[in-house]
Amino acid sequence: MLSTLGVTLENINRNQCITMKNRLNFVLPSYILIGLIMLAGCTPNVEKNTHTPGIVYCSEGDPTSFNPQLTTNGPTTDASSYQIYNRLVEYDPTSGTIVPALSHRWFINDDGTKYTFYLRKKVEFHHNDIFSPTRYFNADDVIFSINRIIDSAHPYHNISGGNYPFFENVGFTDSINKIVKVNDHMIIIHLTQKDASFIASLASNFMVIQSKEYADQLLKTQDMSSIDNLPIGTGPFVLDSYFKNNHIRYKANPQYWNGTPRIEQLVFNITPKSTNRIAKLMTGDCDVSALPQSSEIETIRRNKKLELQIQTGFNVSYLGFNTEKPPFDNLKVRQAIAHAVNKKSIVKAVYYGSATIADGPLPPLSWAYNNTLSSYDYDIEKAKQLLKEAGHENGFNMSLWASTEQKIYNPNALKTAELIQSQLALIDISVDIKTFGSTVFSEKIKDYQYDSILTGWTADNADPDNLFRPLFSCAALLSGGNHVNWCNQEFDENLNRGMESNKQQKRRPYYQKAQKSLHQLVPIIPIAHALRFQAKNRNIGGMSLNPYGGISFTKAYRRSQKAKSTLAPSEELDSTKLEVK
Amino acid sequence: MSLYITRRINLFIFTVAALYFLVFLMVNSLPGDLATNLSGIQNPTVAQSETIVAQYQLDKNWFNQYISFIKQRMNGNFGVSFNNGLPILDEMLTLLPATIELCIYAIFIALLFGLPLGILAAIYYKKTADFFLLSTSLVGYSIPVFWLGVIAIMYFGLDLQWLPVAGRLNLLYQVEAVTGFTFIDIYLSDIQYKQLAYNDAFAHLIMPTLTLALIPATIVIRITRTTMLEELNANYIKASEARGVHPLIIIFNHALPNALQPVFSQISLQLSTLLTSAMVTEVVFSWPGIGQWLIQATYQQDYPTITAGILVCAGFVILITLISDMLLIATSPQQRGVINGSK
Repeated sequence: MLSTLGVTLENINRNQCITMKNRLNFVLPSYILIGLIMLAGCTPNVEKNTHTPGIVYCSEGDPTSFNPQLTTNGPTTDASSYQIYNRLVEYDPTSGTIVPALSHRWFINDDGTKYTFYLRKKVEFHHNDIFSPTRYFNADDVIFSINRIIDSAHPYHNISGGNYPFFENVGFTDSINKIVKVNDHMIIIHLTQKDASFIASLASNFMVIQSKEYADQLLKTQDMSSIDNLPIGTGPFVLDSYFKNNHIRYKANPQYWNGTPRIEQLVFNITPKSTNRIAKLMTGDCDVSALPQSSEIETIRRNKKLELQIQTGFNVSYLGFNTEKPPFDNLKVRQAIAHAVNKKSIVKAVYYGSATIADGPLPPLSWAYNNTLSSYDYDIEKAKQLLKEAGHENGFNMSLWASTEQKIYNPNALKTAELIQSQLALIDISVDIKTFGSTVFSEKIKDYQYDSILTGWTADNADPDNLFRPLFSCAALLSGGNHVNWCNQEFDENLNRGMESNKQQKRRPYYQKAQKSLHQLVPIIPIAHALRFQAKNRNIGGMSLNPYGGISFTKAYRRSQKAKSTLAPSEELDSTKLEVK
Repeated sequence: MSLYITRRINLFIFTVAALYFLVFLMVNSLPGDLATNLSGIQNPTVAQSETIVAQYQLDKNWFNQYISFIKQRMNGNFGVSFNNGLPILDEMLTLLPATIELCIYAIFIALLFGLPLGILAAIYYKKTADFFLLSTSLVGYSIPVFWLGVIAIMYFGLDLQWLPVAGRLNLLYQVEAVTGFTFIDIYLSDIQYKQLAYNDAFAHLIMPTLTLALIPATIVIRITRTTMLEELNANYIKASEARGVHPLIIIFNHALPNALQPVFSQISLQLSTLLTSAMVTEVVFSWPGIGQWLIQATYQQDYPTITAGILVCAGFVILITLISDMLLIATSPQQRGVINGSK
C-alpha cells in the first residue's frame, strides 16, 4: 500500500518536475539578462576625469619635508621646488640659459665678485588658514632664505636638521662674503672670490625663497619647524594637504605673479612601485608618472594614449681606475682597457637602450662639451697590442667594485661589472667583482683599496665645474670625491682659469682643454649618459623635462576633448623627444 | 534560550581570553625590549617609560602583566606604530571601513549570484546546467585570489584599459574621509562633480569586489545546491507537489526559506577565509584597507601594529561567529534544543 503510494508519488513527482522545469526555463535566461544589465552598468568610463580641472602625478616617494634646501632627495625637490617656491633666477631647460624669476634683472661686476639683483615688485606669498601675508615679497625674504643656509647662528639654521647638502657641496657658505640690502627691491651679494658657477647655484632646484614674515610669525609661536612642513612660498601652487604614504594635494595660487596656473589642483599620488605607477598611468588614475624603468619603456611606447618624454640626462656613469696603484699607473694599461670595453653592449644590456654612449664625462648637452675628441673605439687587437707594450701581454688580475644600489646614471652596476668582466677576459685580464650596499660602499671607497670602480655623477646645476671639480681635482682627493686617486696640475689649472670669467665663450676653451686631458690620460672610461624619462598622458600639455631633475607643473594643462581629437598623434611629439642612438 | 546565550557568551569570553593570552605570549617572545614592543614607543623618555611600566605593570609578575595588557587593549590603547609613531587605533579606524566596505560588497555579490545559481543547479539536478555550474564553481573555488586579481588587472586594466586597477577613488576628487565608506563620503562632501565621483568610485570597486566575491560565490552555489536538494526531496515538498501547488511557490515559499538557514551559518564560518582573501585582494589592488596595512607592517617588523591586527581581526571573526550563532538560534526553532554553547 505504502509502496504503491510511494511509486505513485514518485511518478507524480517526476511529471511534476518536468512541468516545473518547463515553467522555470525562463529563470536561467532571466538571470543572464540581469547579469547583462549589471555588466552594462559597469560600462567603463575611460575619460573619467575630463571634467575635473586638475592633474594627478604619480610620484615615487614621500618628501622628507617641503623645503628643497634641506636635502638633495628627489621626491622632496619634485614636491616643493617648482610647485611651492620660486628662485631669484631660474634655469630654462629649453634654451639652457638662466632666465629672470623673482629677480627681473641682475648685474655682475667686472671682477665677478659683486652680484646686484633687482627684485620683482608686487609678488605675493601664499595665503592659507595659518598665514596671511601683510606685505609683498621683498629683499628681506631673500636675505632670510640665504642667511638661513650660510649663517650657523641664524635662528632657523638648525631647524629641520640643519643640513644643507647641496650648498655644502658647492661651498656656498665660503663663497658668500656678505649680502647687502640696498632697498626693498635691490640687494647686492658680495663674493669672497670669483665664482662663475654662483649664478647656476642660485638657479638650482635648491635655492628657494621662503617668507621672512611667516618665519617671524612662527618664531613668536615657537612652531619653527612648520616653515618646512607647512610651507609658504611664492610659487604657482599652494599646499592643501599631505597624507604620508598616500598623496599630496595642491591648489592653484590665484595670486601667482606669472599668471594663475591653468589647472585648479595638482595631486601627487605617492606610488613607490614603478609597475604600479605605469598601471595607474595606463588606467587614468595618474596623468604623469615619474621615473619609468628602462624595461617598461617599450610598454609605454606601444600605448597610443601615452607619451614618453625623453631627454639626455645630465649624468654619466664611468669605470674609474685607481691611478696610483700599479699596473693602473701605466697609461698604456688604461688605454688598453678603454679599447677593450664594449660600451655599446653595456648600453644595450644594462640600459635597454635608454642611454647614449658616453664619449667623455661631460654630456653633449653641455655648452662646454668638446666635440673634437674622438672616442676610444672597441678594438681588441689594439688593446692587446697596448698591453704588450706595457709589458702585460699575459694579462693580470684586477678588482672591480660596484654598488648594488640602483642609480639614475646606472640602473644596474653589478650587471655592468659582469659585462666588463667578460669583455676584459678577452684580453686576458681577470676581473674580480666586489659589491657592497650603498652605505658600506661609500664608506669603503675612501680607503682606495680597489683597482677599479664603477660609479657616476649626476648634475646639480648646469655648470661644468659641478662635474670636474668634485670628481677629478686635486682638492677633491681631500674631500673624498676623487675616486680615481688622480691629481694633475695642468687639469686643475684649467679648472681654475675656467672659473675666472662669467662669459661662456671665455670659459669654454679651458673646459675643453680639461676634457682633452681626461681623454688622453684616461683616469676614467666614461660608459653612458642615461636618458631621463617621463611618461604622461597625451592630453596633458605644457610639461617639460628638466635635465637636472625637479618636475614643474607651472605651465601644465589638460587638453580639452575636442582639441585632442583633432590633433594627430604625430603633431604632439615634443621637442625634447630624441631618438635613442 | 537564555541559558544558551549565557553559555555562548561565556565561551566567547574564554576564547577571547585565550586569544589575548597567545598574543601576549607572542609579544613576550618577540626580539627587542618588551616595553617597546607593547607600547610601540621607541627610545622613550624617562617619563614615558615610567608610564609604560605603570600601564602594563611591567614591575609585577606575568599574570598582572597579562591582565593589564588586556585592560590596555580593551580600552583602545594599542600603542603607537613603529613606522610613523601615530596611535594604532586611529590608523586602524581610518582603514577598517575600507576593508569592511570591500567585504560587504563582496558578500552581497556572492549572494546575488550564488543563491540563484545554487537553486538552479538544484532544480536541474544531474542535468547539463547542474554539471556546468558544479564544474565552474569548482574551478572558481580553486583559483588563487592573487592570481585572479593580477590577471584581471592585466586584462581589464592594462590591456583593455576599461577599469582602474588601484585605489578607491581618483585623487582629483577631494573627498574628506568622514565615515570611511566611499559612497557615503562622496554624498556628504561638497565637491562639484558628484556624479562623476560616484562613477569613478564604482569603477574602482568593480575589479576588487568581483575578485574577492568569486570564492564566497562558489561556496554559496555549492551549499545552496546541497541544501536545496535536501529540501526538494523532502516529503513535505512532494506533498505540496501532489496537491498541485505552483512550482515557483514550492521553491520560493517552501523550500528556499528552509534551505537558506544552513547557507547563512556557513557564510559566517567562511568569514575568516574572506578576511584573508580580502587582505590579498587589498595588496593586489592597492586598496587602502587593513590588510594592506598589516602586510606592510609585517614587512617593516612593526610589532605593535601586527599584534593589534591579530587581535582585531581574530576578535572580529569570533564576534561575528557569536552573533550569527545567536541569530540562528533566534530564527530556527529546531536549534533551540541545543543548550551547550560549544554544541
